[in-house]
Amino acid sequence: MTMIEMADVLKADLLVKGEGIHKAIRHVVASDLMSDVLLVDEDDMLLLTSLASDQVLRTAQIVGAAGVIVVNGKTLPSSMVNVANDLRMTLAVCRLSKYATCIAVHEALKKT
Amino acid sequence: MTLQELIDTCGLESVFVPDAQVPVTAAYTSDLLSDVMAHCPDESVLVTVQNHKNTVAVCTLVGAAAILVVHRREIPEDMLAAARREGVALLRTPDDQFAVSCKLGAALKK
Amino acid sequence: MSEAPQTPDASDAKNEPEPAAVNEPLVLLELIQRLKVRDVMTAKLVTVSRKDTLREAQELMKQKKISGIPVEENGRFFGLVSVDDIIRALGGGYIDDACSRHMTTQLVVLEDDMPLSFALRYFDRYHYGRFPVLNRDRRLVGIICQRDINRALLVELANELNRLETSFGQTPGLDGAYSIYVLREYPICKYDFENAGKAANQIKKVLQEKQFPPKVIRRIAVAAYELEINLCVHSDGGVLSWQVSNGRAEIIARDAGPGIEDVEWACRDGTSTANEWIRSLGFGAGMGLVNVKRVSDEFEITSKKGSGTTVKCVINIDLPVAT
Repeated sequence: MTMIEMADVLKADLLVKGEGIHKAIRHVVASDLMSDVLLVDEDDMLLLTSLASDQVLRTAQIVGAAGVIVVNGKTLPSSMVNVANDLRMTLAVCRLSKYATCIAVHEALKKT
Repeated sequence: MTLQELIDTCGLESVFVPDAQVPVTAAYTSDLLSDVMAHCPDESVLVTVQNHKNTVAVCTLVGAAAILVVHRREIPEDMLAAARREGVALLRTPDDQFAVSCKLGAALKK
Repeated sequence: MSEAPQTPDASDAKNEPEPAAVNEPLVLLELIQRLKVRDVMTAKLVTVSRKDTLREAQELMKQKKISGIPVEENGRFFGLVSVDDIIRALGGGYIDDACSRHMTTQLVVLEDDMPLSFALRYFDRYHYGRFPVLNRDRRLVGIICQRDINRALLVELANELNRLETSFGQTPGLDGAYSIYVLREYPICKYDFENAGKAANQIKKVLQEKQFPPKVIRRIAVAAYELEINLCVHSDGGVLSWQVSNGRAEIIARDAGPGIEDVEWACRDGTSTANEWIRSLGFGAGMGLVNVKRVSDEFEITSKKGSGTTVKCVINIDLPVAT
């Protein structure tokens, strides 16, 4: 399943369509601590986070993530959209909590 | 479902469990304490990487029953002491947040 | 009058460990080894002879805006008259005496074919403002002061940078990418979360353009990112530098304070001095240095409470087996 399909399933607002938008999601990481994310040695991951900051995108670029979904329907600082565009990182916002998003993502990936 | 049932179903490690029979009806996954404060439901298990004594304090405030530390991160002494004082259960799992959230989700749906 | 000036004791210098500059950027180390004293010294000399008076020497110093004049006749070097000598002469009322009577003869001199690193070491050790330079035939060929060195290094660094920029513009094949020399430095400010991580993002971009293997890029980028965030969160500000050369990537984070009290403790998983505010930004879980260590082939941290911290990590870049 790709990022664009996932955003659709989760009814997430797709704010930036980056490079990884059509990549198949190969791994999912849920975390609000960026060091925790940097620990993961997987490519094309989907990052689920409740943190709404530029560093989320910078971290996602470092690990080569397919995209980032910010949960809890957070209002993002405008800089995040700029940074996402700059780094060509796919960015979406989902209204569910991170816990609920994990379950929904898991369900969606199971089906494909 | 009781905390003990959840521990058994999901294969969690009990680090400190003051009362295994407390009801658990929800879970919440977060590493941001302000976020936990704002959104974490009561009678819940908080899934987090934050092995820190302040996590215990926040759980007491929102009425969460247990803290589940992922990646089997070490529980520092002062966190354990705080949990004892506040009567908050401490659990661990080698899983990451995503995996264990899915497990909890499946168990709590029943 | 004492005998001819002392030559620097080259054997002594050779036995010394290399200058404590292991942490200096490689390009500078290379430069101070490659450049000779003669490339840097001032060769157009203003000199006086032994019978010239100190007043004449003073006049010349004023005109040429210099702080020391060698006493020389037909290439033979006798001594040096410095501003200090002049001041003493004015005080002592013997400014009209001949230079030969009051010049400094107990001198340390350099040879023109010594590497610049020698000169730097001598400036460090003797605290003189300048050194006369003799050639192999013991003839005076120049004088070197710290300003000469600064100027020469700046010029050479600019040349080096031009060279790098040029090679940067090309897209080398895989082989070229490994031998290529890249050096960048980024200043990192305390609590500047608007920019924290930017340097690491750029490093990753550059390495991707150079077609390094993705696994290596990731390790370098992770180390750079964690170190950059560390500088931003924990230091009073510092510099993140990285260089890639000859199959090695080296990333150095250096700050001027406040220093780490217990380095071992700081490197342990889950330990952190971060406050709740930092934690709310998704940092300070005490995993940063652990992460850097994890991705590094070599890891080194030096710190002292009250002064700065330097973290250096090296990641070896293995050439992929050609297919």
